[in-house]
Amino acid sequence: MASRKKILLKVIILGDSGVGKTSLMNQYVNKKFSASYKATIGADFLTKEVLVDDRLVTMQLWDTAGQERFQSLGVAFYRGADCCVLVYDVNNSKSFDTLDSWRDEFLIQASPMDPESFPFVVLGNKVDMGEDKRVISSKRASAFCQAKGGIPYFETSAKEAVNVDQAFEVIARNALAQEESNDFNADYPEVIAINMGENDKGCAC
Amino acid sequence: MATPPTDSRPSTSGSPSSPYSPTASFYDMSDDEEGEYSTIRAAKSEKGVKLLYTKSKTYIHPSASAKDNVPGYIALIQQKPGNGPNVSSPPSSPVASSSTRRTAETANILLAWVPESSMGDARDIYNKVEQAGSSSPPKQSQLVPPPPVTTSHNAGLGTYPFAVPVSDIFSILVRPPSAGWWFGSIVINTRGGDSFPALFFHDSECQSTIDQRKKLQRENFSISTEGGGMFWGGDEIMRWLKRYTVVERSSQEPSIYLIDPNEVDKLGFGTGGKPSSDKVRNVLEGKHKDEPAQSQWQNVEDPVVKVLKQARWSFLEKMSQVTTFTRRTAQAVAENKNLPPQVRRLMQDPQVQTVSEEFDSARLYLARWAMGIAEQSEKERSQRVWSAKEALEMEDSEVGQFEILDVDAQGLSLADKRKPVTLKEWNGFFNSRTGSLEKTPDEVKERIFHGGLDEEDGVRKEAWLFLLGVYEWNSTKEERHAKMNSLRDEYIRLKGAWWERMVDEQGTLEEREWWKEQKMRIEKDVHRTDRHIPIFAGEDIPHPDLDSPFAESGTNVHLEQMKDMLLTYNEYNRDLGYVQGMSDLLAPIYAVEQDDAVAFWGFVGFMERMERNFLRDQSGMRLQLLTLDHLVQLLDPKLYAHLAKLDSTNFFFFFRMLLVWFKREFEFSAILRLWEGLWTDSLSSNFHLFIAVAILEKHRNVIIEHLHGFDEVLKYVNELSGTIDLPSTIVRAESLFRRFQRTVESIDRKSNFPAAPLPRQRLPQPPPVTRPGSNGRPRQPSSSDANGSGSTSARERTTVGDHVAAGIGAGKEETRVISSELRALLSREIPKLDKTEVREHGGGVGS
Repeated sequence: MASRKKILLKVIILGDSGVGKTSLMNQYVNKKFSASYKATIGADFLTKEVLVDDRLVTMQLWDTAGQERFQSLGVAFYRGADCCVLVYDVNNSKSFDTLDSWRDEFLIQASPMDPESFPFVVLGNKVDMGEDKRVISSKRASAFCQAKGGIPYFETSAKEAVNVDQAFEVIARNALAQEESNDFNADYPEVIAINMGENDKGCAC
Repeated sequence: MATPPTDSRPSTSGSPSSPYSPTASFYDMSDDEEGEYSTIRAAKSEKGVKLLYTKSKTYIHPSASAKDNVPGYIALIQQKPGNGPNVSSPPSSPVASSSTRRTAETANILLAWVPESSMGDARDIYNKVEQAGSSSPPKQSQLVPPPPVTTSHNAGLGTYPFAVPVSDIFSILVRPPSAGWWFGSIVINTRGGDSFPALFFHDSECQSTIDQRKKLQRENFSISTEGGGMFWGGDEIMRWLKRYTVVERSSQEPSIYLIDPNEVDKLGFGTGGKPSSDKVRNVLEGKHKDEPAQSQWQNVEDPVVKVLKQARWSFLEKMSQVTTFTRRTAQAVAENKNLPPQVRRLMQDPQVQTVSEEFDSARLYLARWAMGIAEQSEKERSQRVWSAKEALEMEDSEVGQFEILDVDAQGLSLADKRKPVTLKEWNGFFNSRTGSLEKTPDEVKERIFHGGLDEEDGVRKEAWLFLLGVYEWNSTKEERHAKMNSLRDEYIRLKGAWWERMVDEQGTLEEREWWKEQKMRIEKDVHRTDRHIPIFAGEDIPHPDLDSPFAESGTNVHLEQMKDMLLTYNEYNRDLGYVQGMSDLLAPIYAVEQDDAVAFWGFVGFMERMERNFLRDQSGMRLQLLTLDHLVQLLDPKLYAHLAKLDSTNFFFFFRMLLVWFKREFEFSAILRLWEGLWTDSLSSNFHLFIAVAILEKHRNVIIEHLHGFDEVLKYVNELSGTIDLPSTIVRAESLFRRFQRTVESIDRKSNFPAAPLPRQRLPQPPPVTRPGSNGRPRQPSSSDANGSGSTSARERTTVGDHVAAGIGAGKEETRVISSELRALLSREIPKLDKTEVREHGGGVGS
């Protein structure tokens, strides 16, 4: 293997405003939740060092403004992404409906070498709000993810730290696989086909 | 880990709780009623408790982001003696009952923390006591409202005051400011086994610490304490406590100070079942981190272990906020000639070196910390009174060769110019009978630009309406009255219009969807805008809309007003509509005006110039970022070359600052001062870009020497939030403007032949545009319109094609040309969009 140079995994978190992107990131990195994160303006990121299969990697998680018009500036930081996390709010159908356009927009702007195999992960956040508030069922979300080529799907609560670590573990793994496939500059299109097991686990909350 | 909250503290979730404020009867007390102060036990005490010592600028950091930091006062408080222990420790507490030396006195002394937002008028008393210093307790009793007594905390703490009886404190973890810890902090551990959140001492903001340091320096020619470290806020707290109780430093773990320890405590901390030094090390090294199965750790409810866990965790957390920093040693930082000697010494400390080798990111902290120290010692020297001269003397940049601004033509000295305009002075500008302005608007604006408006006397309420264009400068009192009346009517009409729209579900499906979405967006944003400001804090009324995600947490009347105003703006300007960031722009105006109709029209005035920031195609933001690019290229070619190397000349890291005019970078009160200056257009209607360059210049050395990637620059600049000194920044920005002005003049003179291009001249456009020094990459993503429509606005086409003021790599002087973007900076005309442009690019329902 090559020398143990540090691996930096760049992860972009996208989704409508107010679905909890900043909160998810902070819950994962800082184990904290605050109800009063201000609306993100521009972009920011947090980093976290994690072990993926005994390899120490640094995840750089990019948080962006959710309102769609600010995304046209995204190109500045989408470049070189290793994984894209799409977040929606299970209590807000609009935020689910827009997932597809977030995905398309990302692929256009980041223009990864092989868009078909680029790893995405979908997170349905705010599952803590209760079933009566919920408008997007697990089934519907899972079906969407299946249809998009088996995107791993997790239902999370940034507030109550439900499934957050599990989701980001998969994100890290998929990002690492992507990074390595880029590194060797070869085509291993099958890297995406992993983690269906995790997928199931994620939905079982 | 979490202990249920005791009943003495309001729960942080769910139950509505209004901000803590003194009761009316509290003010009725006078100093000669000493001895009458009541016991702090009574939750709804009618009277105050005695404030012995206090220190301001003590923060709780509830999240990783500096934006969330909650400023407050730490205080030592005495309640009426003789009441015995007022809070019983939890029954499970292993040591509380065995303490033999607990006296009634320590039970009546409380260590408290009160957030600024909940102090109300009591803040004056706190300030008075703080200024009185700590050489002895105040001679007169200074009474303040009692903070709620507690011996435990729960996770969401940060906005509520608390007071812990000293007799209930088991130990205090003391972390002086050092390489890893940006700020010094203390953590209170109770006998019940609870740890309070760390209180961070922002010493550079705290006048009393600065004064004490100065005093030490005068007396001992050193700003260090006996222990060797630099004097800091936490030293002071330990000094207070030592006056009332026994404080013993732990031999096991020198950062732990045991409070009034009995034999059991000491023994427990040393050997036996309690953590040995090995265990302590394990925790510090994270051997058992995230391993709940380690029953040994789970079952022992030992406060020390808990604290150590927390300590390690928050250290790592600090580190994790920073990006990977390319391989450079602390040595590089230490070599920086700007470092004060004490920092350089510290850098050579082997422990510090280990830390910085282990964590790449530590270096960024070291760099910034060093910068902070250097800045602070400068401030001490100038005694926090900023004059242009002092601010410029400390400049250490290539742009720093400023001349001292002359005393202006009217003969006002700088000090006079920079005095705030009071209501009295303001009223003096107007004819007392007709209310017409008797000076020129420019005179008034220039006065406000340099001095700002008085914070306290309400002059802003009136003056802002002129600055925001609600009132004409040449109007009479009567005319203004009439105008306001009709504006009020218009506000009500507009408000009614969207209200009906909602109720009747008018319009096409698309329109209805848009309104629903906008309403939701506004709802979400208002609930997270400036909630630390007293008028927006707390929830004390039920939410009117049960479908709102905030239905359970409730709301308050000012939040509801904010929502109404923003929805009304959405109605008023349907071509643009509400866009994120606007709530940040409205909040200060509303906080000043405190009247929804008036604030609304002030906001409308502000938005006229800010509209361009919010267009769907982002052309207005791109133009400003491009102008910034040209400006830095002209004024600081060396910095520009570095940024170009890092692929950072898109200046995206200034996006937030430009979008909402530095709202997220400065404290609320500073924003009021900054904005009113910018609204005057006194030098340039784009003066905010000079503020941006002034901020950048301040950090140019750190950026050039230590930052090696776009991500590092972005992170560094984002984290400047809350650290920027406004007065000196304004002075620097003004100097930069003057310098810019002179540079343009001299270039124009030189390049008289051929003549300088006219503004907005379009040159042949060779795609892709490669700019000097930008690594040969095209710098503007030109094709990616959000809609994929591929159309770029006229504005964008113009800017991309224009010549740039050739700063670097462009060869001979003769070729230097000032771009139209730069030339526009000399204008004082507010850049307003015309309606058709908003319709085309606004992205609202009308466009």
